[in-house]
Amino acid sequence: MNEIWGPDSATIIWHWPIALYLFLAGLSSGAMMKALSVEWMNKNKKAPWDAFVRAGVLLAPFSIIIGLIILIFDLTKPLNFYQLLITYNLKSVMSLGVLLLLFYTPLSLAYAIIRFRSTLEQSFLGGIVRNFGALLDFLERNSLWFGRLVFAIAGGVGVYTGFLLSAIQTLPLYNSPILPILFLASGLSSGIAACICFGLIFFEKEVSKDTTKYLLTMDLRVIPIESLLLFALFVGLYFQGGEKAVAAITSLTSGTWAGIFWICVVGFSVVVPSVIALTALKNHAYKVNFILLNSLSIMIGVFALRMYILYAGQIYLGT
Amino acid sequence: MKYAMIHDMEKCIGCQGCTIACRSENAIPDGYFRLKVKMDGPHGEFPNLNFNYVRHSCEMCEHTPCVTVCPTHASFMDENGIVDINANLCVGCLYCVVACPYNARYVNPKTNVPDKCNFCKHTHLKQYGEPACVAVCPTDALIFGDLDDPLSPIFSYLANKPFVTNKPHLGTKPKLFVVPNKKGGIKL
Repeated sequence: MNEIWGPDSATIIWHWPIALYLFLAGLSSGAMMKALSVEWMNKNKKAPWDAFVRAGVLLAPFSIIIGLIILIFDLTKPLNFYQLLITYNLKSVMSLGVLLLLFYTPLSLAYAIIRFRSTLEQSFLGGIVRNFGALLDFLERNSLWFGRLVFAIAGGVGVYTGFLLSAIQTLPLYNSPILPILFLASGLSSGIAACICFGLIFFEKEVSKDTTKYLLTMDLRVIPIESLLLFALFVGLYFQGGEKAVAAITSLTSGTWAGIFWICVVGFSVVVPSVIALTALKNHAYKVNFILLNSLSIMIGVFALRMYILYAGQIYLGT
Repeated sequence: MKYAMIHDMEKCIGCQGCTIACRSENAIPDGYFRLKVKMDGPHGEFPNLNFNYVRHSCEMCEHTPCVTVCPTHASFMDENGIVDINANLCVGCLYCVVACPYNARYVNPKTNVPDKCNFCKHTHLKQYGEPACVAVCPTDALIFGDLDDPLSPIFSYLANKPFVTNKPHLGTKPKLFVVPNKKGGIKL
């Protein structure tokens, strides 16, 4: 029927760039937290660990900056984005996120500069880096406290993306207290995976068998937690009854996004890594290709999770 | 002052006079809407059939999800209780569009800013003291008034008629009151 009130406006308001941003923000915070914790566990900063610390410390600022650029261009009024920096609504999760990122982005960049200081000083950027010598010296002397601060803010960035969605009352799949924790856990898992991938490709000479295996087990430990959180998300919705129960069931059983959930989210971030871990990596065998495959699969799975939550949340309303 | 509106579904005949008045008053681009009156039905057993005409527009919530989520205060409630948008502050993150429980916002393709009913604040309300939709309603199914003024027509109307608000479980306290249609039977 051609309704007299005309076509209904599109139900999808937030599109894939938002999911890409959510993924990159999670990856950045995960990589930063992972790099810092590895660094604290190995205070002598000897070579085998160094590769992953450096990979993580590099990934963190780059992925958040790329994410923010995507986010700004996704605004319907990108030229007005400066308003986000000068007007704050402290009741809005997005505003709190802007505040966090305002600290996180430069601080993570500063951390990366400290770790790559000697390389940078020899490069064409040497002059600029030397100008900030005093500041970098200060940060390096207080490296531990500086790291702790960055770690806390990175954790904030990891959870705020979840709160950003869970603040929306009307969309059942968003409005769940599990979501921030799920996003933090999956962000951590993608961060570790990205560090392994990046470390193996670019810092190959510094990588040893033991360290890779250690990180891999670290990542594989996040996967059961992630699965439990996913399970809790849907069971929680189901027990709330009414519209939310219907939304939980339909989002897992019908439509394209249900397929994406089972194939991409569960398949790539739970099943494939588990299979690889149980078979190829079982006998402490160091096979670069399988480790790369494993971390790639996890990253795809985590991105698919963001896409799934973003789209399915807007589609399956339970009505 | 706290503006509010009643939509009496018993009186509404679905003539769409209000939706057209809204379009012309506020120069809404083709294909977009601040106000829709959707037909819902038919309900009941033949020959006692009946349609519900459901108004979809901004409900002027007292506890506003759209204002809460807005990072730049571009969505705000003015001193008269009207929820409005300041286009200069808006960055177009569309958080308010997603957060609105009543799906009352659309993105205006000319300004790239979310747009919605604001009781004709700058147009008809300013000139004639009531929104355009209220002015044209042939059956007086729309009643507009001030909740702070006991002499306002909205007061006696709400005192004499049973009314509901949409999605009360969200606690948004809309200032669009709906007098439900009692014809057409009960649906569980």
